[in-house]
Amino acid sequence: MLETAASKFMWNTAAEIAHAVASGRAKAVSVVEATLARIREHDPLLNSFTDVVEQRALARARALDKARAAGEPLGPLAGVPFAVKNLFDIAGLRTLAGSKINRDRPPAKRDARVIERLEDAGAILMGALNMGEYAYDFTGENIHYGASHNPHDLERMTGGSSGGSGAAVAGDLVPLALGSDTNGSIRVPCSLCGLFGLKPTYGRLSRARTYPFVASLDHVGPLARSARDLALAYDAMQGHDDDDPVCAERAAEPVMPVLELGAAGLRVAVAGGYFKCKSAETVAAMDRVAAALGANSDIELPHPDRARSAAFVITASEGSALHLDRLRTRPNDYDPAVRDRLIAGAMTPASLVVKAQKFRRWYREQVLKLFGDVDAILAPATPCTAPLIGQQMFTLDGVEMPVRANLGVYTQPISFIGLPVVAVPVPLDPLPIGIQIIAAPWREDVVLRLAHALEKKCVVGVTRPAL
Amino acid sequence: MKRKTARKAKAVKAKRGGKIKAARAKKPAKGQRPVAAKAADAIDSLVTASAQALGLDIEPAWYGGVKFNLQLILRIGALVDEFPLPDDAEPAPVFHA
Repeated sequence: MLETAASKFMWNTAAEIAHAVASGRAKAVSVVEATLARIREHDPLLNSFTDVVEQRALARARALDKARAAGEPLGPLAGVPFAVKNLFDIAGLRTLAGSKINRDRPPAKRDARVIERLEDAGAILMGALNMGEYAYDFTGENIHYGASHNPHDLERMTGGSSGGSGAAVAGDLVPLALGSDTNGSIRVPCSLCGLFGLKPTYGRLSRARTYPFVASLDHVGPLARSARDLALAYDAMQGHDDDDPVCAERAAEPVMPVLELGAAGLRVAVAGGYFKCKSAETVAAMDRVAAALGANSDIELPHPDRARSAAFVITASEGSALHLDRLRTRPNDYDPAVRDRLIAGAMTPASLVVKAQKFRRWYREQVLKLFGDVDAILAPATPCTAPLIGQQMFTLDGVEMPVRANLGVYTQPISFIGLPVVAVPVPLDPLPIGIQIIAAPWREDVVLRLAHALEKKCVVGVTRPAL
Repeated sequence: MKRKTARKAKAVKAKRGGKIKAARAKKPAKGQRPVAAKAADAIDSLVTASAQALGLDIEPAWYGGVKFNLQLILRIGALVDEFPLPDDAEPAPVFHA
């Protein structure tokens, strides 16, 4: 095959690129030029980028190459191109958060903290990615900027709200992207696009200078094509940050040194009851992952249906409080589907919201007890593979229900109490689907070790779409 | 049918800062138990009153969407509401001064 700029470094992981740049086998500038060429060639199909910071990326790459030539040490992500959901501040750009309204905001003065930390590790920011409006979305559709398209089937959803992040990584425009996850917005697109995604423990990674949605439930995290890349990015982003009041005062606990420890000694169970999805693809994926990890028993989470309900209530109420003034002054500038939910959220009785927050603490205490008996719990990430773009309804366990509200039916009860989760992709034919690996708070090491072990056994992994 | 449409239109026309007239409940006859308002009517009342109180103008085209979503929140939220918790249950976020 004739090598073009766009075909260089194709399908390389972040770890492979960093190794090539650090060893001098590749120039960071060549990596960035190849990335830019692929974005130009494929993004018109995927609609994943809303801004490309070409000059910034090239300048950064030239500086990295110069540093290497001078014998300076390079970081663990040297020369790795990445992009971020457009709710992360990028200095000089307007932080859109998927909206039309935010186009009127002044450009951000400084990058989000996690962008700074990835760049400190040598990564190179390529731009901002499409997303569902104000992150109130599971589909990856957007009325203002168009839907992101699933690289495995362009007529299908990416899932959301980090839809552009899913499309850009699965479509090989970048090997690494950042997303946010309030109720499933990293794990849902990872499931539908066939990617690895990490939603860390609530409070683990700084959300400073990201556009919020639901302060009680917002997380940020990476999407990648391998568990190792998740660990590399996660380690680079860890650490307390005074600029995010929720960010825990914990020292960084790097996962890379323990990644190869594998699944040995870890007790894994399958979430039962509420999480027993009957769809053929979910059953097939779960059987495969559970068998590989020796997860022979079920474990019951207490009242996950109520946990999902409480997350739903808190999301509606806090999300609407954030937007109330704009709902008064610019209601017609919202996506109608988002606006109607936000207005309804503003009308939610306060007593219900308080009860939901009290239930959250009760539920957390009950779930944490389960981790005395197991180290990790498996649950489906989505009830189905990627629906068609625009599809309104789908059938779950024989019941027809709305797509938009129910793609996150299995992710919401987990993020509700901030547990760390890796979504791993099971490469089914014709479309992939994700399984959640869930651990106790602050045990990202457990979920990443298990994801990496499954990948090495070829039980999970990304498949390359034919773009 | 006409009455219903008129009531809805009145609700929708309620402007920010406008006068809010509380509907006076009809007194039940002696010996008669008060009858709870029909669920759909109660949601209409809640949407109308909340929109007025919050200063939100709801256009007729959105009314159905807002009402549907509020019904959904309350229906889903009932699962939380009905769950018994002790009086000393603390909410999840705890503020540290």
